[in-house]
Parts: sequence; C-alpha cells; structure tokens
Amino acid sequence: MYRLLVITLSLFASITFAHADIDLHDSSLGDEARAIKAEGKIFHTEGISVIRKMHPELLNHKRDKTLRQGVRTNKDSLKGCVNCHANKDEKTNQYHSVNDKDQFCSDCHQKTSVSVDCFSCHRTTPGASYKGVK
Amino acid sequence: MSNTLNRRDFIKTTTATTASVATIASGITLTTFAAKANENPVTNEKRWGMLIDTNKLTEANIDGMVNACKNEHGWGSEARSTGDQKSNWIRKLKVKDKATGKVTSLPLMCQHCEEPPCVDVCPTNASMKREDGIVLVDRHLCIGCRYCMMACPYEARSFVHEDLTNQKEDMPRGKGTVESCTLCVHKVDKGETPACVASVNSDAVIFGDLYDPKSNINQTLKKVQSAQIRADLDLNTGVRYSGI
Repeated sequence: MYRLLVITLSLFASITFAHADIDLHDSSLGDEARAIKAEGKIFHTEGISVIRKMHPELLNHKRDKTLRQGVRTNKDSLKGCVNCHANKDEKTNQYHSVNDKDQFCSDCHQKTSVSVDCFSCHRTTPGASYKGVK
Repeated sequence: MSNTLNRRDFIKTTTATTASVATIASGITLTTFAAKANENPVTNEKRWGMLIDTNKLTEANIDGMVNACKNEHGWGSEARSTGDQKSNWIRKLKVKDKATGKVTSLPLMCQHCEEPPCVDVCPTNASMKREDGIVLVDRHLCIGCRYCMMACPYEARSFVHEDLTNQKEDMPRGKGTVESCTLCVHKVDKGETPACVASVNSDAVIFGDLYDPKSNINQTLKKVQSAQIRADLDLNTGVRYSGI
C-alpha cells in the first residue's frame, strides 16, 4: 500500500513539474505576450493548453482560408503569433527571431524535437507594420 | 389570475417571442457581415484585372513599376543566384513590329489567366486560381517541380534557389518553391491597388474589377482597343494591353 502511494505521488509530482517546466521560461514568452500576462489579461481565451496542443491545426486551417479564400482576419494569424511572441534584445534593440535558440517557438520545439517549417518562408520578427507593445 | 396557461395564450406568446427574436437576430447578422469584407471568402462575382496602356507608359514608368514590386515583395536581392536563377516577378520587355519597325516597351508579369496552364499542370494543386481570378502559388503545397514554369507562355514564374531571411511580412518566400506576381493580393484584399499600379499614378495602368460595369477598367475596355498577349492561346488573361 505504501509503495503504491509513493508511485502515485511521484506521478503527480512529475505531471506538476512537467507543466511548471514550460511556464518557467517566461523570458522567452515575447514582449507583448509578457505585457498581456502581466496585466492579468488572457489573450488565448480558448485556453493555453488548447493552443499548445492544437496550434498546428489552427494555423493550417487559417493558412488555407487566407491564401485560397482571402479571409484575412487577425484570428490564428501567424503574423500575429510572431508579433506577440518576439523578444527584443535590450542591447541591440533588434528583435530575436522567434525560432532562434531559447526563443518562443524553439523553446518547446527543441524539447519535443519537432522541426518548425513555417520560417523557411515566413518572417521571423515583427514587420514594418507592427507598432510595438501596446 | 390563474397560473395555468391555456393553449391560445401559449401559441400567442410563443409566436410573438419567435418573431421578435428573428427580427433582431437577422439585423445583427446582417450588420456583422457588412462590417468586414475580409471575413468572407472571395467570390467569382468579381474578377480582378489590369489594363496597361503602353503608349502612355515611359520606360522610367516601367522601371518604377519593377522597383515598386521589388520593394513591396522583397525579391531581386538574391545574392547567391545568378542570371536566370534570379527572381523576376515583373520585367520590362521590348517588342518590335517586324513590318513597321515600331519598338514598344511593356511591363510583363503573371497575366492572371482565366484558364491558367500553370494550374492545369500542377501535380499538387499548389498552383491555383482564386475565385476572383487571381492566380497564386500555394507554397505550403509547392514541391518545386517547376512544371508551371515550363507551362507558362509568359515565363512569368521564378524559382527560389537559395535560403532567404528577413522576408516582407505580407509576402512569405522560401527556397525550393515557385513564385510569381500575386497582383498584390494582400493589398487587394484590403481594398488597395497593387504596388506597380500605385507607382505609376496615372491612367496609364488601370486596375479594377473586370465584371463591374461601373468600374473604370470595365468602361475603358469597352471604349479603347486592347489586346491580350498570345491571344491565340485562348487563356482570357486578366492583364490586358492597349497600344501594342
């Protein structure tokens, strides 16, 4: 019985730490996303876990709608992801690419060893139209 | 007053409620749809086209169009590509009438055909035509076989031969895929005109909806002599020329 309790507890602990592990990297969250989080607001109202798990599907769905049907809304737009989750280097005043090492995308993608194909074509930093953190 | 509801009252109340809800709800739906055109898929009620008057265009105008396209989409600075490998979305072309010796300069880009040969040959459905007539490459699906480049009679398509960085935010481009003039689809969807048309800033190049009888391009095409390049192929191009 005692052994069973230990196993259960360690399982719970590992689950808790697994999630905490991702949350710990607040530094790579991105300037605007960090600002939103600091204000206590929630941007991804469908839930962070939904976005974590489903973002490839959401992006694929949106890309077809945008490219083939001309639906250009901000919802699930990759440009929006990049704008919000890019970090500015304080010394150089330049944005880091979101897929650079220890930046937002690669933070998880390295851990799960899933390559990101988006950025062989898409821009990795906010573009000229981005007005900065609101 | 008794608490029991008789049949007549029930029917009266239900009908009234349904009718009022229906009235309000239909109003809400209509306003939401009218608010933002970008939320709705494009339809074949429109067909975007361009009319280029070569008599009114100077060579400097054409160079300006090419540069405007480069600035808008970020092509033309491929450092490690040479000669034919370089991207060419729009180029200045000189044509000579052999009989009279008359030389005409014209800008040539994707002609946005109604029946595009590039779409016919694409094995992955990456080369595609939008409902409103704009021909595009879906680079998510493009495998870089370049059949479309061979099929295009205007040689309007280019292939990216090298890794690219710092692309324009509205125009993703990448190695191993084919690209061409998009008729500035990201601007057109916002109600703006393509970069090359805006750069000329005169009636030498007109952009608009070919199907709309009130549009400038529709009315001008009714009045002036215009031609398609390689009209013999029966592709019904969206880009038309007058003065050639």
